[in-house]
This record gives sequence, structure tokens and C-alpha cells, in this order.
Amino acid sequence: MASVTINNVQKAFGNAKIIHDVSVDIADGEFVILVGPSGCGKSTLLRMIAGLETISAGKIAIGEHTVNNLRARDRNIAMVFQNYALYPHMTVADNMGFALRIKKADPADTASRVKRAASILGLEKLLDRYPRQLSGGQRQRVAMGRAIVRDPQVFLFDEPLSNLDAKLRVQMRGEIKALHQRLGTTTIYVTHDQIEAMTMADKIVVLHDGLVEQIGAPLDLYDRPANLFVAGFIGSPAMNFIHGHVEEGIFRSAGGLTLPLPEGIQPAEAAGRELVYGIRPEHIRATGQGLSGTVTLMEATGSEIFATVDCGGEVISCLFRERLALKQGEAVRIEIDRASAHLFDARTGQRI
Amino acid sequence: MSAIAPERAGVTTQAIEGSQPVRLAPNYWPFVVPALVVVGAVIVFPWAFTLWMSVNSWTLGQSRSFAGMENYLRLASDPRFWESLWHTLTYTFLSVVAPMFFGTVAALIFDARFPLRGLLRGLFVMPMMATPVAVALVWTMMFHPQLGVLNYLLSLVGIPAQEWIFNPNTVIPSLVAVETWQWTPLVMLIVLGGLASVPREPFESAEIDGANAWQQFRYLTLPMIAPFLMIAVIIRTIDALKSFDIIYAMTQGGPGTASETINIYLYNTAFSYYDMGYGSAMAVVFFIVIVALSFILLMLRQRSQWIDAEGK
Repeated sequence: MASVTINNVQKAFGNAKIIHDVSVDIADGEFVILVGPSGCGKSTLLRMIAGLETISAGKIAIGEHTVNNLRARDRNIAMVFQNYALYPHMTVADNMGFALRIKKADPADTASRVKRAASILGLEKLLDRYPRQLSGGQRQRVAMGRAIVRDPQVFLFDEPLSNLDAKLRVQMRGEIKALHQRLGTTTIYVTHDQIEAMTMADKIVVLHDGLVEQIGAPLDLYDRPANLFVAGFIGSPAMNFIHGHVEEGIFRSAGGLTLPLPEGIQPAEAAGRELVYGIRPEHIRATGQGLSGTVTLMEATGSEIFATVDCGGEVISCLFRERLALKQGEAVRIEIDRASAHLFDARTGQRI
Repeated sequence: MSAIAPERAGVTTQAIEGSQPVRLAPNYWPFVVPALVVVGAVIVFPWAFTLWMSVNSWTLGQSRSFAGMENYLRLASDPRFWESLWHTLTYTFLSVVAPMFFGTVAALIFDARFPLRGLLRGLFVMPMMATPVAVALVWTMMFHPQLGVLNYLLSLVGIPAQEWIFNPNTVIPSLVAVETWQWTPLVMLIVLGGLASVPREPFESAEIDGANAWQQFRYLTLPMIAPFLMIAVIIRTIDALKSFDIIYAMTQGGPGTASETINIYLYNTAFSYYDMGYGSAMAVVFFIVIVALSFILLMLRQRSQWIDAEGK
């Protein structure tokens, strides 16, 4: 096990700069998730840590050692790929024991380590099968088993669940998390799915266009997003953004809607700039007071109701936990929880 | 009342006035007969005729008489036949192994990216397109002990002149060199196709698992292209067993009988000595040898099969 330090790392393919100056400190045993939309550079960053891509500038260290010029095979890391990358012509046991076999490890020791990993992952009965004879979830487990057998310093996961169906994804999410708790190995996990990030990570790194937008614990990112991008990316359904400015101590939207300022914001610090008011759908309640509007969409899932409400031209998404007898086209009054609202500078995107 | 009979492919219906339509049996024969005639004439008849001749004593221009197994017994005690069988097997083995080795190495080289790869690949494939007899004539000149370019090249590095195809000890390896020169590109093409179909991800995985370049080749590349190698081996084996043109054009089986394969001996027996019966017996035995070898190779091919992770 080891810490991982990523220091001012950059990556360019020719003139195209994919990663601009990223720095992340990952503590020993931490579960860190790199999250961001497609093309944000998260997989490239992971592959640079793995040694599958060169580092254009900056420094990556695993433990005490700078690994910039170390080949992948010398970094003592294990990686689980999106498409599993199993060896198609080898059985499950051979796949899992491959790394030890080529190191000329004692076959008996290899077999016992494979067996132990298989029992952790529930693969004991599949050891003689070939990858083609396994389901997607089983292949994913074999890929993880291959990583466990190595007993590496760092586990790297590259979108490991994106080829699985929704139900299996939830199950595997739990298994990976449990595995981390059991083994305690430093883990770096890449995903574009913010639910995965929120549910599994000790620490989330939000990447966008090759830059770190914010680093923090899942709930920190949810409660105190540093900027508009993080605010919009974390949380589902996404946060409502209303453009406007502050006038006489209240927020006035471009469409004329007035909203109370978020708690803790002084009118003076917000006055005179273009602003974006941010409020999460789950922080809006239908109390019979506040903004009046018309329901334009109603989706009841049983546990909650998702609705969009048109308040004088601003369409606001709401998530109600209580059962409301709302109908499309009906008038409704919604109240915003000021304590959970945010104000962003529209020009810089930063939270005020 | 006219009945409209539903028509079916191949079924002729005739409506006869005042009665039910009469269905005639489907008549496909006109379509099948031409193929049958061709197959019968060029495959079945020659085979049957060869078998028939092999149990007869028949020299062209003389009368034929039934000989039973006599030709076969004669074969069993004919040292020249056993010698030619040995030549055939040696020639085949070497003409499979050498192109397989060089073709695989060439495929690995041409699979990598480097400047002018397309052009060099094109040049590399050229020998395959040449006419065997033309190839044989050019190589005969190159092998010439006094005037040939090969001995000249050897002299440059101080190696004494060789007799190549004019020495019984070196004639088969020399012929194999020609065969290898011409057919290495075919192996290269087949293996190159195999390499192109190998998935990329397991190699990244192996890199991380700690495999060096040789281990990646040994444990991943080789098993994954094994089915392609097997196909190349089968094609090469069949071609080498059949080989006649290059040997006949260069040595006619000589010097003496040093490069006489079964094909050459058979040809000489049948068409130089006109001993049709004996030649036919030889053809039958050689056919059995080829079938047995093909059978073994096909079994091996089945075992070399693997299916990728998606089950394709």
C-alpha cells in the first residue's frame, strides 16, 4: 500500500493539451474517484498513473518513488479495465495467476492466492472456465480477482462498471466498496457516473477539460460546490440555475422572478454583478407559500415526485419527498430552502 | 371450370380439362446433371480409373493384364520409392518450417508501425506472384557454381563456392530455399491478418501484470494467433506435398535421384517409362499419405481454436 502524489501533471498529444496542470494528493488506503464528463482527461490521468501513457510534464509518485520513468510493469499497481481485458485463451484461474506465473512464483503459493481471491469474490466454482463462458458481472469479478492476487500498492479502476446493467452495477458498487474496506489498498477509480462517485469515494476529484474543478469529500461537493460546473455535475436531478442579479437585497432573475438571498450572503458582496442562483430540486418544497407557478411535468416514482414548475418564465425542477396530488397544468406554490441555496458569479463561475 | 392451382417451385401442374390438376414429381434433374457430369468426369472417373489401373499391369502401347496387388507389393520392396517418400517428407517438413518461421517474424515486423511500411509490405509480397517455372529458372542461374550470384556473394565474405542443387547433399535444402523465398509472403499475410484481429487490451493488462515483451509474445500473441498459424501450416503442408513445378524445372529429381520426390518419381514412372499400373499404385499410396497428414493437421487445428471473450 502506498500514497500517490500527482504534482502539476500535464499531458499533451502533439499540440492538443488533454490535461493542464493537475495536482492531487492521495493518502495511503484512500478511495479516490476521478469523475467528470467524457473527454475531461480522467482516463488519461489514470493511464498515466498506470504507466500506459507518458507524462508530458509534472511528477507522479507512488509512495516515496517518482514513477515518471518507470514502466507499467515496474510500478506494482493493478488495473481493472472497462472491457475487463481478460486473457481470452486462459481459464479464470490462469487469468488470475498470470502475474505471479510470469514472475516465476511458487506454483503452490500462486494457487493458494488465486483460491483466496476467488473465495473473496465468489469465483471458486468458475476457476476452470474461460472468459467467454462467463457473464459480464463474473468477468468483472475475474478482472478484480486478477488485481487482488497481485497484492499491489495501488488499485486502478477505469470505468469498471459501465458495461454492466443497472442492477448489477449497484451490486458491484457495493462489492468494490466492501473489497476496499476489507483490503484497505489505495484505490483510484475513474467514472463518469456521479452516483458511483458519491456512493463509493472517500474523496472525489472533479475534472473538467483537463483541469481539477474541485477536490473534496462527496458531501462537501454536494453541500458546498466550488463552482457552477461542480454544482451542475454533482447531484441528480441537476441543480436549478437561475440567471439574474441582486437588487435591494433580493435576487431578481432576468425574467423578473424574485428570490430570497441564500443564507449567509450579504447583499453588498453580491451586488453589481451578473449572478447565477443555484438551488437543488430536493431543496424546494410545496408548502403553499412562496413562488407561484404552474406544473408543466409530473413524474411520480413512488418514493418521490419529480416535477417541473414554470414560475413566470423560469422553469424550476423540484423533487418532493411527500406525496402530493399534483396535476399537470395545475397552479402550485413552492418554497426555496434558503439555507441550501447558492449564489455563483456568472462570469467566473465561482461560488460566492 | 378452370381451377387455379397454387404453384410451387419445381412442381409442374397440368390442368386437364374437366379433371383435377395432375401433379408431377418435382423435376430438378436438369439442374443437377451438368454438375454431376463434370464432377464425374474430372474427379470420380480419374479416381476410379487410377484405382483400376493400379491393380493392372499396363505399360502404354502394350497389352494390359490384371495384376491384383502385385504393383503394391512391388512398391513395398522398391528402395527408390521409399527414398522418394523420404525426400518428399523432408522437403515438406523443411518447406513448412522455414516459411512459417520467416513469415511469422516478417508479420511481427510488418505489424509494427514504421515509415514506408505499405511500400515494403508490397515489395515483400512480390515473390508470391511470380510464376514458379520463371522463379525456378532465375534461381537455377543464381545457383550456378561458376556464374551464379550466390557463390559470388559467398566469395565476398570468404566462404568457398557451394554446389547448391548440383550436389546430392545440398540439393533439397537449396530447393527448399527457393520454396521458402516464394512462399514466406503467404505465411506473412495470413499471420498479419491474425495479428490484426488480436485485441489490444489484454496486452495493456499484461504490461501492468509485469509481462516483458517476450512474455507478452509467448503467453498472449502466440496463443491468440495460433489458429492463424495452424491455417498457414495446413496450406503450406498441402502446397509443399504437391510441389512439382520448381523441382522438375530445376533438377528433374537429380542429381541422380537425390531430389526425387514421390511426385517426380510418379511422373517419371508413368510418363517416361509409361508404366501406368505401377505409377497409379504410387498415386494411390501417396493419396493415402496426404489424407492421413491432412487429418492430423485438421485435428490439431480444432485444438488450436479459441474464442474471444465475446464468444465470437
